[in-house]
Amino acid sequence: MSSSQVLLFVIVGKNEPLYEAEFHKAGTAGSSDSVTRQNYFVLHSALDLVEKAAWTTNQMYLKVVDKVNQQQVSTFLTAGNIKFMLLHGGRSEDSIKSFFSDVYELYVKLSMNPFYRYDTPITSKSFDTRVRAVARRYLA
Amino acid sequence: MSKSTAAANGHSLWQKMPKANAELFALTYGTLVTELVRDYESTEDINEQLEKMGYSIGVRCVDEFLAKADQAGMVIPPCRAFAETAEVLAKTGFRMFLGVSAEVQMISDSSFSLLIYENPLSLFVELPSDPKWKDIKYSNLYCGILRGSLEQVNLRVECTMVKDVLQGDDVNEIRVDLKEVLVDGAGEEYDEE
Repeated sequence: MSSSQVLLFVIVGKNEPLYEAEFHKAGTAGSSDSVTRQNYFVLHSALDLVEKAAWTTNQMYLKVVDKVNQQQVSTFLTAGNIKFMLLHGGRSEDSIKSFFSDVYELYVKLSMNPFYRYDTPITSKSFDTRVRAVARRYLA
Repeated sequence: MSKSTAAANGHSLWQKMPKANAELFALTYGTLVTELVRDYESTEDINEQLEKMGYSIGVRCVDEFLAKADQAGMVIPPCRAFAETAEVLAKTGFRMFLGVSAEVQMISDSSFSLLIYENPLSLFVELPSDPKWKDIKYSNLYCGILRGSLEQVNLRVECTMVKDVLQGDDVNEIRVDLKEVLVDGAGEEYDEE
């Protein structure tokens, strides 16, 4: 089961996930149910480590906070304490950092929308399309 | 007043006006609209409130417009046809206050449409995809402003937003219909015997 084929990206707010997206390599089918659940489990269990790592640096990009089996969780912490978390099977730091920066820009534009309240689930379709396009660009 | 003078006037008046940050302006208007959304239930009420606010703004705008033009040494003669009014509004008025020009599309002698491509009020805005937002006229403030300012120069008009970029159209269109040319007067009680 090659887990570097599937990438899981989750935006976590104070109490709940605000946005989730799975990115597959072009051509492969979606992953099975158990793999998906395992991915979610790994990612959410890394949340405590994110809190710990946040105190060690004043950068927004926290790099890899947790390594389980072959999977790694990288995190980006926004200024408003929203966590962007990416579960991957080993990608270059630079491409992940660029991915997070672009998604951060999209997130900032979204939060400027007067109809979007901070820390609420993100339902905008254009945000979803754009995040997927960014993922294809940096993580394909 | 030819079209090019109206545009030139608009551009030079815009240079002289004190400026505000575009993002601050758009965000302020955005919070205003979301507050209205919280206060009122139906979208008709929200649109009506926006129009009323626009009316109060418009009543003050026309004086400022004529005063600033006078200060700048421009002559804005009384309009001889409604089409002239439309041009002055679109090219000079809108340009002066918002920095964007509108285009005029005459529909008849007493009605025209203003086409606005760039709307400074709706920067960053995306309407939620809920069907109840289909009828909200986010930029309805403009309709009130036009109605208020034209009423001060004795033209009673009705303005409606016909097309809205936020609702999916490619341009913002405001339809202005002239209802009545008002007569100056202090009322019947003051008629001389």
